[in-house]
Amino acid sequence: MSYTLQRKRNKINRQSLVIDVFIWAFLILAALFILAPTIFMFTASLMPANDILKMPYRWIPKGFYLQNYWQGIRGNDGTFIYIRNILNSLIVASAVAVTTVMFSALAGFGLAKYYFKGRTLVFMIIMATMMIPFEAIMIPLYLVTTKLGIQDSYAGLIAPFLVNAFGVFLMRQYFITFPDEILDAARIDGASELMIFRTIILPNSIPAIATLAILTFKAQWDNLLWPLLVVQSEEMKTIPLYIVKFMAEKHTDEGAMMAVAAIASIPILIVFFKLSKYFLGGAALYSSRKG
Amino acid sequence: MSKRIPTYSIERKKARWGWMFVAPTLIFFSLFSFYPIFNALYTSLFKKKLLSLKPPDFIGLGNYSYLFKSPDFWNSIRATVVFTLGTFIPLLIFSLIFAIFIMSRKRFQNFFQIAYYSPAVLSSVVAAVIWLLIFDPRGLGNQWLNLIMNSPGIDHKWLANSVMVQMSTMLVYFWKYVGYFTIIFIVGLASIPQSIYEAAKIDGANDWKNFWYITLPLLKPTTILVSIISMLQCLRTFSTQYLFTQGGAPLAPINVITLNIYNTAIRDHRIGRASAMSIILFVIMLLFTWVQFKSSRADEISY
Amino acid sequence: MKKLFTIFLFVLLLSMIVNSATAMEITFWTHEDPNRTEIEDRYITEFEQANPGVTIKRVTSGSGQIQELVLTAFAANQGPDIFNMSIEDEYAYIANERLSPVDFEAAGYPSLQAIYDAYIPGVLDPVTYKGKLYGLPLELTNWCIYLNKKVFKDVGLDPEKDYPKTWEEMVEVSDKIALREGEIVNRRGFDFRYPYYLVSMVPMVEQLGGKLISDDGKTAIVNDEAWLKFLKFMQEWGPNGRNLGSPTYTNARKLFNKDNNDIGMCLTGLYQQGRIRSDNADFYNSGEWMVVPFPKFENAVKDVPAAYYGHYYMVNGQKPEENQQMAWKFLAYMLSHPEEYLTKVNIVQPTVELMNSETYKSMPYSDVFTDDMAKGHVVYYGENSAEIQSHIREAVESVMLAGVSPEDALQTLKRKVQEVLDEV
Repeated sequence: MSYTLQRKRNKINRQSLVIDVFIWAFLILAALFILAPTIFMFTASLMPANDILKMPYRWIPKGFYLQNYWQGIRGNDGTFIYIRNILNSLIVASAVAVTTVMFSALAGFGLAKYYFKGRTLVFMIIMATMMIPFEAIMIPLYLVTTKLGIQDSYAGLIAPFLVNAFGVFLMRQYFITFPDEILDAARIDGASELMIFRTIILPNSIPAIATLAILTFKAQWDNLLWPLLVVQSEEMKTIPLYIVKFMAEKHTDEGAMMAVAAIASIPILIVFFKLSKYFLGGAALYSSRKG
Repeated sequence: MSKRIPTYSIERKKARWGWMFVAPTLIFFSLFSFYPIFNALYTSLFKKKLLSLKPPDFIGLGNYSYLFKSPDFWNSIRATVVFTLGTFIPLLIFSLIFAIFIMSRKRFQNFFQIAYYSPAVLSSVVAAVIWLLIFDPRGLGNQWLNLIMNSPGIDHKWLANSVMVQMSTMLVYFWKYVGYFTIIFIVGLASIPQSIYEAAKIDGANDWKNFWYITLPLLKPTTILVSIISMLQCLRTFSTQYLFTQGGAPLAPINVITLNIYNTAIRDHRIGRASAMSIILFVIMLLFTWVQFKSSRADEISY
Repeated sequence: MKKLFTIFLFVLLLSMIVNSATAMEITFWTHEDPNRTEIEDRYITEFEQANPGVTIKRVTSGSGQIQELVLTAFAANQGPDIFNMSIEDEYAYIANERLSPVDFEAAGYPSLQAIYDAYIPGVLDPVTYKGKLYGLPLELTNWCIYLNKKVFKDVGLDPEKDYPKTWEEMVEVSDKIALREGEIVNRRGFDFRYPYYLVSMVPMVEQLGGKLISDDGKTAIVNDEAWLKFLKFMQEWGPNGRNLGSPTYTNARKLFNKDNNDIGMCLTGLYQQGRIRSDNADFYNSGEWMVVPFPKFENAVKDVPAAYYGHYYMVNGQKPEENQQMAWKFLAYMLSHPEEYLTKVNIVQPTVELMNSETYKSMPYSDVFTDDMAKGHVVYYGENSAEIQSHIREAVESVMLAGVSPEDALQTLKRKVQEVLDEV
């Protein structure tokens, strides 16, 4: 090999090494920045409040100050109502996930595989509901809820979220790609439409169903505005309401506050790490729209 | 016998099934989406106070004309626009950069994706309380910035200064969603077939040219998608601004439309005016989505 | 046998009907306060025993959320039977005629006038509307300055002599006490009670000769000079001035109980003592705290302390007659224990009897509170007080945090409050 060629090769190797290092550094620093607040929450939850706002922040807590967790669960009134609130969030989020999957699958299937007059119009109307900002309808919704007498109850928390347009869209998108031949074959064999839905479509749509269920669960877990309006008693509060209440009451006990936040986050983070492909898949599905 | 196009009974039957599948969802939307929005439209034509038992006064477009002349409402529009632009532009740029960098690595791709996405999993209330502590004058925000800028003891007034508080809300949003949009770009990047790059290589293109002339243009639909989704999300932002103002931050700089609607209805009891604001927000969002619909239709990419 | 059985069934059914006819549920919404919850739960048990067929359902919410909850409930015509909030938040319910007037018979008084006689003159005025009475006071509160003696001694001040008597002195003392790391304040001398501008800051303007609303109720923001002075003072106080405090730091009164060397003084009421006692008994018993009157400006034109406000128990006017009567009976029963409210919860029912009692007089520093209250006036209440308060908040925040000039902020404030006034 000639001398100059070798030198050029070395130069390119060095250049690509520099670029390599740069990219790694960038990604790692970004990861640190993005993960830092969550790590902060966990470490702060294990420290007494006075240590949290000391400068500089000691990332490694001196010990496991579990009183924060005790105080967080116990609540400032000592009633341990947080446990009930966590349960409420679980019940509501799960119920909404189930109903959303059911209704979205039904509607998505109807829109994807059946031709009826006004089908496009129906689809567009459903998509338009995504545009309606919640604040626009919160008072009328509240009035509907109280007329039905379901305020301050599980029914009231779940009702406005039984199904949403995104779910219908997701399911429809998935079902469109489902081969018609299988459906027709089943029809020739004498299966009714409902049977086809139950025995062919549903079992073969687990990825989409799982993704929708997880995304819906997560969105409900996070919901603040509706429970803020419709929940009146301590027992029916959901986790975000408890956090807001706790923040207003004992703003200074930052340790207990972080413990409360950590308790609220641990379940959803565990679900996330175990089932990350469904979370990431949800984002991917969004981008694979082709009209 | 009148001329009729025969509709085959099988097709009619299928059409009926189609309606039946869709019906429950439609009923639900009628009750919980359409009725409320029409109710809100109706209410916006009146001067109505939340606690009053008297019948409200009909003022037609009075609420709307008040809003369009109100500096407070225009401040909300400003706050929302600033927030939206200030959030989605960095989101777009960084999520694209992250996606490209991650894809160029042969290992740890999954780790980075999960790490970057993780904030999106936390509830926004949790995010707000964490960041309220970080932005406390004694918190991590000042400590880290002072470290980087070598300016010990400076209070950057994350929540106290009107420019900073807006940037703080944008930062929180960015932190929460950059991972989400990185994934979208990764999928978009992955859908570009390798064959194109190979063909370009044969023609003598290098990496930089590849990026500008192949990757970016082919990413256009994804880019538009990311822009529109992030903009729509930003228009609806509420929790961060609500919780920050509850925690002591000044209201005016971050008085986005949704927060204004909430305060006008709940604090000031002016439900007529709040409904008018909601309708205006609804129209803005409809416009954005129409734009997206049009552009995603127009850009069917074929390789 | 069959006949007996039918009679038995009939009697069972009848008793069920009778029971359900007398079964009454009274919903009672109030704000959280663990000390008060304890005693009121007991009153509920006692009342239910004395009045079979009646159940009281008591629900507490955070003091920041109860306004929204009561509001949305009433907006849907589903309000609770009984509720209480601070009068500035409650007045709209009176003005919109959503409430039930006090049933003096059910409450155990011989006449309406007897109720007025039982209370300190003037305290029932805010809930008197068109000749009827719409609430009974749970507490009447005013705020004075609590100070931590240790912090004072730490900077070489004598708390008994050197406590700030004027706002100018407050600035100097706070500056001495402040511990800073660069611009970041780790220990503040004093900080204001930020969201409550009507109670704590309007009086400061009044000291300088200004007014929130003119006497005839038509003009907003009277005496520009006074308001400008006040806004300039707040600007000086904040991060862009002498950096003594800001709304973005933790509330002073929440830090005070902890005795953690991060706050010297705070502005709060008699009830704070109960909280100190339960949060930090050592601090309470050590006597290292004291209460001093609300400061005045050096060149004050009027001697005005912080305004006092009241929480009144009110009854929903949309509930059936029997519910309303029972609600008033129950309220009167609860309120017939003023001494216990004072000793266990540290809140003051403004009855003539209580204010003259030994129990009240023996509470630490009660004389400071009484003296200030005698000089003061009730907080501004009106149908739109919440909205007006948010405009004041915006004015103060804009000069303290956003760099707006006091003149501009004043113009905006004037315009906005005038608009609210003109509407009514």
